[in-house]
Amino acid sequence: MAPDHTPAPPLVFTPRPSAPPPPSTVGVMGWLRANLFSSVPNAILTLLGAYILYVFLEAIISWALINAVWDAPNRRACLDAVGRSGACWPGVIAWLPNLIYGLYPKDQVWRIDLGALILVLWALPLFLPRVKSKVAIGLTAVLVYPFLVSYLFLGGEKGWIWMVLVAGSLATFFWVWLTAISEMRTGQGFIPLLVHTLAGPDPVPERARLVRQLAWAALFVTALLIVSRWQLVAVPTRLWGGLFLTMVISGIGITFSLPAGVLLALGRRSSMPLIRGFCVAFIELFRSVPLITILFMFNTMLPLFLPVGVEVDRLLRAIVAVCLFAAAYMAEIVRGGLQAIPKGQYEAAAAMGLGYWQSTTLIILPQALRIMIPAIVGNFIGLFKDTTLVSIIGLFDMLSMARAVGEDTRWLGLFIEPFFFITMIYFVFCFAMSQYSMNLERRLGGGQRR
Amino acid sequence: MSSSTSTAPPRPSFLNDAGVRAFFYQAAVFVAVTGLLYYLVSNTITNMSQRNMSAGFDFLDVSAGFNIAFTLIPYREGDSYLRVFQVGIANTLLVAVIGIVFATIIGLIVGLARLSTNWLIGTLARWYIEVLRNTPLLLQIIAWYFGVFNLLPRPRESIDWGGLFFLNNRGFYMPGPVPQEGFGWTLAALLVAVLGAVGIVMWSNRRRRATGRIFPGGTAATALIILLPLAVFYASGAPLAWDWPALRGFNFVGGLSVPPAFCALVVALSIYTSCFIAEIVRAGIQSVAHGQTEAARALGVKPSRTMRFIILPQAMRVIIPPLISQYLNLTKNSSLAIAIGFPDLVSVWMNTSLNQSGRAIPIVAMTMAFYCVVSLAVSGLLNLYNRRMQLTER
Repeated sequence: MAPDHTPAPPLVFTPRPSAPPPPSTVGVMGWLRANLFSSVPNAILTLLGAYILYVFLEAIISWALINAVWDAPNRRACLDAVGRSGACWPGVIAWLPNLIYGLYPKDQVWRIDLGALILVLWALPLFLPRVKSKVAIGLTAVLVYPFLVSYLFLGGEKGWIWMVLVAGSLATFFWVWLTAISEMRTGQGFIPLLVHTLAGPDPVPERARLVRQLAWAALFVTALLIVSRWQLVAVPTRLWGGLFLTMVISGIGITFSLPAGVLLALGRRSSMPLIRGFCVAFIELFRSVPLITILFMFNTMLPLFLPVGVEVDRLLRAIVAVCLFAAAYMAEIVRGGLQAIPKGQYEAAAAMGLGYWQSTTLIILPQALRIMIPAIVGNFIGLFKDTTLVSIIGLFDMLSMARAVGEDTRWLGLFIEPFFFITMIYFVFCFAMSQYSMNLERRLGGGQRR
Repeated sequence: MSSSTSTAPPRPSFLNDAGVRAFFYQAAVFVAVTGLLYYLVSNTITNMSQRNMSAGFDFLDVSAGFNIAFTLIPYREGDSYLRVFQVGIANTLLVAVIGIVFATIIGLIVGLARLSTNWLIGTLARWYIEVLRNTPLLLQIIAWYFGVFNLLPRPRESIDWGGLFFLNNRGFYMPGPVPQEGFGWTLAALLVAVLGAVGIVMWSNRRRRATGRIFPGGTAATALIILLPLAVFYASGAPLAWDWPALRGFNFVGGLSVPPAFCALVVALSIYTSCFIAEIVRAGIQSVAHGQTEAARALGVKPSRTMRFIILPQAMRVIIPPLISQYLNLTKNSSLAIAIGFPDLVSVWMNTSLNQSGRAIPIVAMTMAFYCVVSLAVSGLLNLYNRRMQLTER
């Protein structure tokens, strides 16, 4: 008889639930232990750091906020109230318009605001998701916007050349927004949409061209009508100043330095010895001397270089110096980017039958520019900070305006507060730029990450 | 038939020949640049003859006739313009050297702090770098000058460190050494000690590479540099007197002193540059793969030697080139001294002398030549270093 096969109860492995991690390694306590108090020396360092932080923050906050005076007629009153233990902000508040606009006439300041507003509006479509003509809009913002805004800032009598340029610029601005709106609503550009509606879905080319020309002419005439109604008072550049001037100089420098730097870098890597020689000489000369010497040189020598009787505006001298200086630095950055492109890319472009300019603009530069973004933004930040140097050659940028507060008889000796204030402004701008570049790098480098 | 025999490709048309095109491009650029130069030079000559200006260097012997507030090398009011130029260079180099020393020390500390595993220390170091790097240097210099060194107490209430160092709104005072008869022996001993130390280090390195045995060359060299001159100094009867700063009337006399503008400039330059150096140090150390440390530990190398012989030599290759270019930047940035009236090269030469003598062209040329020579020399040395240190890959 078969033995009784009563199956033994199956042996099933049931793990005991794992014990919770020790409380000292998780949560706030764990973090504290791992990052701040992992060893005795580390704990001492932490306490020291905390002490330094406390002393520093306590000093700043009690000076800038708690003990500060917010309302006083002059510095004497501030000193009587809190002495040196608190900041005297009314001086900065009273000078705020000057810190931002310089000596620009008070009743004309709206022109600066309007110029800034137009720039924001011009660049806004670049951040809207459904707009397709971003390249065209970006290029017009760089190439066409300056005409409109320079007349806005300078003002004065406009001859017919100015009139045409400004009207063309304004017409382009209209085009930017009409295109942006029509692309957002219908997915089609403004002018193609117009052609589509007026000349039918499949028009003969002549008709389409006629409609296109008429559309541009209408935009231009509208702009011309508006512009001819304007008559802005001339504001000489010696009245420009403050944050506004800083923005103008660094904006022009940044706009100029990128294309000029690309050209110089290409020249430096060219196989033609003469062109290479000129580019190397220019780059090395401008990079080896301090910016202040270049500013001085242009300030004293530019009038000598030009024909007798030609007066060069002080601001223009500074801008020329800053542009050339920034271009030389940009050239070296671009060269670094170009060198990082593997030789195979050049060879592949040549094998595809692309010429020099085609392979450079379609294959090499797009890749090189992506590698260079951090360095380029770093250069922009440097340029923005370096514009403070124009205060040394007598332009009223934000720094000279801050110094002027302490020389005002009502606020005599008030230096720290305005410096503190403009330091924060510079910091916000530069820090924002550097964070944006890191963000951009992360987004554009998506394909490179593994 | 004929197509297979003609192997030579058809010659490109004349206009598409690369050599011809290159020639024309270069000729066009050459004509444009020389034309521009000719235009500028001829304008300059016309302008200068109209304003009775001269471009010669003959003014260098003329007495400059102005006083300079702080000079490293001796200068009197009647000295020539050439002397002013030398004074300016000496002052610029003084600021640069002192600034470089402090910037390196602070930068090293902050860079290591940035890498610290301690979260608080790392964060503090990060914000130190972010804040100071993102504000203009000129603003920092002016803030240190007007906000700190100008607000210090008057000489009578100066800040006093042990009766030796004094800080007040007229400057920083410290005891000055005055060498007496026979101090030359100590200097000679120092020279011998330095040469000996270099010899010891080289010998111990060579022995280590050849035999693997380690001789504490660094310690021995340091001991030699300190002990030998000290022994000679006392053996020759301590021939060094000190000139102590002392309060006379309203101000300090004696000792060595630097003006507040100098202090502000050095402090601002070294703090600003230290941020960049800190980032360079951090990047350099992070660039050495962690596997290197692990491999060294696996081979039984002590942690201290891992740092010295494995990590640092590799990190240095990454650190040195940008570090040198930061030193160069600091030297160039010292020209901002003009904003707070410290008499550096740009301030005494390109500003005061230029305004007084009106010789714009030679003065601008000389100033730029100085900076060009310095930076070309340094970048030449750097290229040499890079060639020696470059990784030789397969």
